[in-house]
Amino acid sequence: MTHGISRRTLLGAALSGGIITPLLASCGALVPASSGAHTLSVHTQISGAVAGAQTFSDVVAAYQRDTARRVALLKNGSDLPIVFETSTLAGKEADVAIVNMMGRTLAWTRLGATVPVQDFLDDWGLRDLIIPGALTEWTDEDGRLRAFPFTRTNWPVSFNTALLEEAGVGEIPTTSDELIAAAEALRAKGIGPVTVGGSDWSGQKMFLQIIQGFITEAEARTVFSTGRISESPGAIAGVEHFVELRDAGVFVDNVQGYTSDSELTQFNTRKAAIVPAMSSALALVPAERAAEVTVGGWPRPSSGGVLEHPSVIQSYNGHGIWISENGMKKLDLIKPFVQHLYSPEVTDRFILESGRDMSRITDTLSTDFPLVAQASRLRDSEVSAVMLPDLLIPEAVFEPMIQATALAYGTASAERIIDAFEKSYQAA
Amino acid sequence: MAQRTALPLRDRIGSITSGTLAWIYAALLVVPFYYFIVSSFKTNEEIFESPLALPTTFDFTNFTTAIQQADLGLAVANSALTTIAALVLTLLLALPASFALARARGRAGRVVESVFALGFLIPSFAALFPTFLLAAALGLFHTRTFVVFLLPATALPLSIVILTSFMRTIPRELEEAASMDGASSLQVLRQVYLPICVPGIATVLLLNYLAFWNAYLYPLILIGPDTAQRTIQVALPTLKVDAGTDYGVLMAGTLFTLLPVYLVYTLLQRQMQRALLSGAVKG
Repeated sequence: MTHGISRRTLLGAALSGGIITPLLASCGALVPASSGAHTLSVHTQISGAVAGAQTFSDVVAAYQRDTARRVALLKNGSDLPIVFETSTLAGKEADVAIVNMMGRTLAWTRLGATVPVQDFLDDWGLRDLIIPGALTEWTDEDGRLRAFPFTRTNWPVSFNTALLEEAGVGEIPTTSDELIAAAEALRAKGIGPVTVGGSDWSGQKMFLQIIQGFITEAEARTVFSTGRISESPGAIAGVEHFVELRDAGVFVDNVQGYTSDSELTQFNTRKAAIVPAMSSALALVPAERAAEVTVGGWPRPSSGGVLEHPSVIQSYNGHGIWISENGMKKLDLIKPFVQHLYSPEVTDRFILESGRDMSRITDTLSTDFPLVAQASRLRDSEVSAVMLPDLLIPEAVFEPMIQATALAYGTASAERIIDAFEKSYQAA
Repeated sequence: MAQRTALPLRDRIGSITSGTLAWIYAALLVVPFYYFIVSSFKTNEEIFESPLALPTTFDFTNFTTAIQQADLGLAVANSALTTIAALVLTLLLALPASFALARARGRAGRVVESVFALGFLIPSFAALFPTFLLAAALGLFHTRTFVVFLLPATALPLSIVILTSFMRTIPRELEEAASMDGASSLQVLRQVYLPICVPGIATVLLLNYLAFWNAYLYPLILIGPDTAQRTIQVALPTLKVDAGTDYGVLMAGTLFTLLPVYLVYTLLQRQMQRALLSGAVKG
C-alpha cells in the first residue's frame, strides 16, 4: 500500500500557499506604522479622494526622506472624529489630528481630548505666518486656540457666462432682480438657472447665505445659535426673500432632490448656468468648463437687506492641525513637522498642485485651477463676506436642519419653513 | 416519440406567473450590478447624463485611481488576513461544539444549545462599547488580533445552529459502526461527520465570509485608521468626499472589493445549494 500525498492534500497545500505567500510577503507593510516611541502619528482627513491628499502624502514622504524622522499617516474620511475619540478613550489616539472644526470636534479642546495650541504659536514662530482672521475663527470663547488653521474655504458662486450669453444675459447678475431676470432668460432657452444640492448640506449653506442678506453678523450669530428666526425680523425677511427667489424659478427644477455632487455635475455638463460651490469643489471643474466661468458672489437683495455687494461665504474652517494629549509627549517631533507644513514650499505645493486655499499668508495663486484663483482674487470692493454658520449650529441640529432646508426647496411657505427650522433646534 | 402532456390551465398560469416573477427578480438583481460595472468605467458626467449606457471606453484608470487613493491593495490584504483567520477560528470552535451538541441526548445539551441561540438576541451595536472596553483592557485595541477573536464570537450562534442541525441528519449507525471499529470521538468527527457535512460547512463559511469581509463598524473602531492594518470596508469610504465625489472611482473601488466576494461565492455556492436542498428534502 502506498502512502503518497493525495491529490486533495496537494491541492489544499497549493491553495494555502497561494494565499499565505503574498500575505507573508506583504507583512512588512502590514506592521502598524504608528507604533514606536520615535514615530509621529498623524491622523488625517486629507486622505483618499480629498483634494490635496496626494500632495499631503508626498509632502510627508519628502519630510521623512529629508529629515530621517518617521511619520505614520493614519487615514479616515468623515468618520475621523469618532475614531479619534474612541482612540482617545483608550489612550491610543494619534499625536496629531488634521481635521476640520465642525460638530464633534468643536468640543475636543474643552473636553481635553486635544490641547490648546496658542502657546506654541510664538514659540514655534507661526503667529506671523497665519492669517489673523483664521486664528480668531479657530479660537474658542475662552480664548483657547483649538488647533493651527491649515486649509480654509472660500464659497463663491460660479456663473457660466457662455450660457448666460446664449440666453442674452450680458453681465453676471449682482442683484436679486437681475438674478430673477437671468433665470427667466435661461429657462426660456431651456437652460437651468441655479443648481444646488437641495437635499443636503450644500442647500443648507445656500439657504443660510440668503438669510444673511438681511441680518447683520451679530444677528446671524444669535439666529444660528438659537434657531429663533421668528424673533428676528431680518431673518424672517431673509426666508421670505428665499421663497420669492424660489417661486420665481431661480433654482433648477426638482432642486429639492439634488445633492452637492449632482449640482456640480449639472454645472459641469452645462445643464445649469449658476452654482454656489466651495473652493475645493471649484478645483474639480474641468478646464474646458472653467474657461467659460466667472466667479462672483450671490446676488444681493434688490430692496432691503444689509449687504453692499453680492455675498460670498468665507471661512477659515478648513482643516486644522490639532495636538492630542499623547502628542504633548512628542512635542520635539511635532514642532519641526508643523513648522514644515507652514513652510512656503509646502503652502505653494498645496495651492499649485491641488488648488487648496491655505490659512498661511501667501501671494501664491493657483495656476492650474483658474476658478480657485478667481475666487482668491475677489476683493471686498466686489463681494461682501458672510459667515459659514457651522461653528454656531449645535451638532445635534445639523441633520434636522438639513431636512428643514430641504423642505424650503420644495413648495413650503415661509411660515412653514420657519416653523420647521425652529423645530429642528427644539427637537435636537 | 413521446407526446408531451399539456399542463392544466391553472398550472400553466402558475408556471407563467412564477417564471415572470423570477425574471423580474433576476432583473432587479442584474440591473444594479450592470449599473455598478458600467459606472466604474465612466466619468461623473457620463454617469449622471446616461446612467445605463455602455461606457465609451473600457479604460481601467478609475480602478488604478481608487486602488492608489485609498490604498486598497493593502486593505484587501488586511481584510483577507482578518477574514481567513476568523473563519478558521470559527470552524475550529463551531465544528466540535456542533458535533457534541448533535450527539448529546440529555437536557444539558439542549440547555447549551439554547445558550448559543441566545447569541442571536444581542444586537451587535449594543455590544460595541463593552467590546471596545474589553479590547482596551486586553491591550489589543487597534490590532487585527482582537477582531480575529471577536468575529468568530459573533458568528458562533448561527454557525452552531446550522452545523448542529446538519449533523443531526447523519444516521447514528454510521458513528456506531466507526466506534465498533475502534475510532475515537475525534476520528468519528473527522472521518465520518466532516466529509458528510461539507455542504453545511460551506454554508457556514460562505455566510460568515460575507459577514466578516463586509464588517465595517467594529473594524473601524477596533482596528483603527492605520493604513497598515485597516480593512477594505474602512478604506473604501475615503473615496467619498463632501463635494465632488468621483463616482466612477468610487464604483471602481467598490467593484474591486466585491471581486473576492464573487470569487468565494463562486467556489462555495454549489456546496451551499446542496446544503439548502438537502435541508429542504430532509426537513
